[in-house]
Amino acid sequence: MQIYLPIAEMSVSIFLLLGLGTGVGFLSGMFGVGGGFLMTPMLMFIGIPPAVAVSTEANQIVASSASGALAHWRRQTLDVKMGVLLLVGGTAGSIFGVQLFAILTGLGQIDLIISLSYVGFLGIIGGLMLVESARAVMRRNQPAAPGATTDLRRKRHWIDVLPFKTRFRRSRLYISVIPPIVIGFFVGTLAAIMGVGGGFVMVPAMIYILRMPTNVVVGTSLFQILFVTALTTFLQATQNHTVDIVLAILLIVGGVIGAQFGARAGRHVKAEELRMALALMVLAVCVKLGWDLVVTPADLFSILPVGGEAH
Amino acid sequence: MLIALFASLALQPPIPTEAPEIVAALTQDVVEIREDFSGTELIIFGATSGLTLEDEIVVVLRGPDQDIRVMEKRRNFGIWMNSAPAEFTQVPSYYAIASSRPIELIADSAALARYNIGLDHLLRTAQPNEIGTMSGLEQVDGSAPRELPPMDQDDLETLAPYREAIMRTATRDALFAEASTGVEILNGGLFVAHMALPPRTPIGEYTAEFYLFRNGRAVDSSVSPMEVRKAGLERIIYEFAHQAPIMYGLFCVALAVLFGWGANAIFSRRG
Repeated sequence: MQIYLPIAEMSVSIFLLLGLGTGVGFLSGMFGVGGGFLMTPMLMFIGIPPAVAVSTEANQIVASSASGALAHWRRQTLDVKMGVLLLVGGTAGSIFGVQLFAILTGLGQIDLIISLSYVGFLGIIGGLMLVESARAVMRRNQPAAPGATTDLRRKRHWIDVLPFKTRFRRSRLYISVIPPIVIGFFVGTLAAIMGVGGGFVMVPAMIYILRMPTNVVVGTSLFQILFVTALTTFLQATQNHTVDIVLAILLIVGGVIGAQFGARAGRHVKAEELRMALALMVLAVCVKLGWDLVVTPADLFSILPVGGEAH
Repeated sequence: MLIALFASLALQPPIPTEAPEIVAALTQDVVEIREDFSGTELIIFGATSGLTLEDEIVVVLRGPDQDIRVMEKRRNFGIWMNSAPAEFTQVPSYYAIASSRPIELIADSAALARYNIGLDHLLRTAQPNEIGTMSGLEQVDGSAPRELPPMDQDDLETLAPYREAIMRTATRDALFAEASTGVEILNGGLFVAHMALPPRTPIGEYTAEFYLFRNGRAVDSSVSPMEVRKAGLERIIYEFAHQAPIMYGLFCVALAVLFGWGANAIFSRRG
């Protein structure tokens, strides 16, 4: 059954969109990532204009992260104070990113920048996470060197010397407010440019840079993503008129259902294995996008409307 | 009324000496795109007078014009980048020809060019200046800035792959189409044309042009306007998004939060 999307101005199979929403929603609930880094490339692949795909995906992530954040709120695995600080940076980053997106679209280079950003970030983060989680799994399987982990945790880190320290009770941390704000800004920019919530950057940043305990990382990440993507959706709707509510609703319906099952499935898997699986998934998307950049394209020419606007 | 028109025309015997004439009526002059739109077929009835056996009919349906930019991917540092842009102005967003015989058999290329018929004659107005400077191709006359350039041979050759790319993309989406048997000539000087509107049919003002060809020349022509527009819910949403973007943006966010909250409420009660 086909449905006509009023903003994307094309008709797409309703079941394809629902299926995409459910599948990506499952992964998002399981790993605490928005799933945008999977969904946005897929939407573009089925022919949705990039500007509409990015903006509408932000709208979908609002729903999936609201659902996830509420679940974590109930389980008290959400550090609101940390989330608010990340959000301060994220708001600025999102505003900056939407402007940058408009400029790059005008230059006709937005596709390349999106792909390069994906390959760069997914490659680095996926690689680091894979190595770390593989080590953690091996350590658990052969508990020969018990001192190693605690030493690593206690070691003085560069973020410990930064000023404006404050206490994050739920995360059991006493650190400067600067790193959360900087990380938030960075992720907010990515959210606007790449049509992602930024969870795949945020989650590892919170684990490895802020050294937050893993159990509050996912909830806090979802909390921040909720607000940043809400702002991104609003800015894209007002500035670029590229949010397609019909497309968004279909993806949301699939997504929220998938996310609930995913969150349940995630609780039965050990944290290290979950991180390793996420790392592998991130690397797979990275390799695919990287390959597409290098291999000779099927059509060397691309056709864009003058002025960069979708209409 | 249309039937009456056909009936009166059908009664007239075709007399070769009579001034040839072509008139047509669109069965619908507004095509509405609703949420279940997945393409449609447009049927156009027309009547001619003074039609002889060697006469042929050509119908051209043309969508609203747009300016487009075509970029060629080139390998830089091992990756493929968009470069060497060329702009084409007044490219129809939809262009379909239906004719009673293959168009190349009806008239020669020069004649078709004169009437601006055919995919080959669509993409005439490009801006080769831009391609010259940005692609690093040798510029024909580097110093003098050219005003509205006449299409010389170099430009034609340079731009040929760009034209082909536009054709390829538009043909793939069925936005450019040539149906050599799309017009059926019925008895009594009547004809019927079938045009396909694909799922990606653009919105806007269309024109349907009707040509009566005799011995490779158009002896008469007429034009009818047509409109493709969004209707129903699609129209409401589109206008909401464009006329009240702030409200629309807030609405989108609120709806998403509501969905997320609703899903959570349902699932947490059960779990």
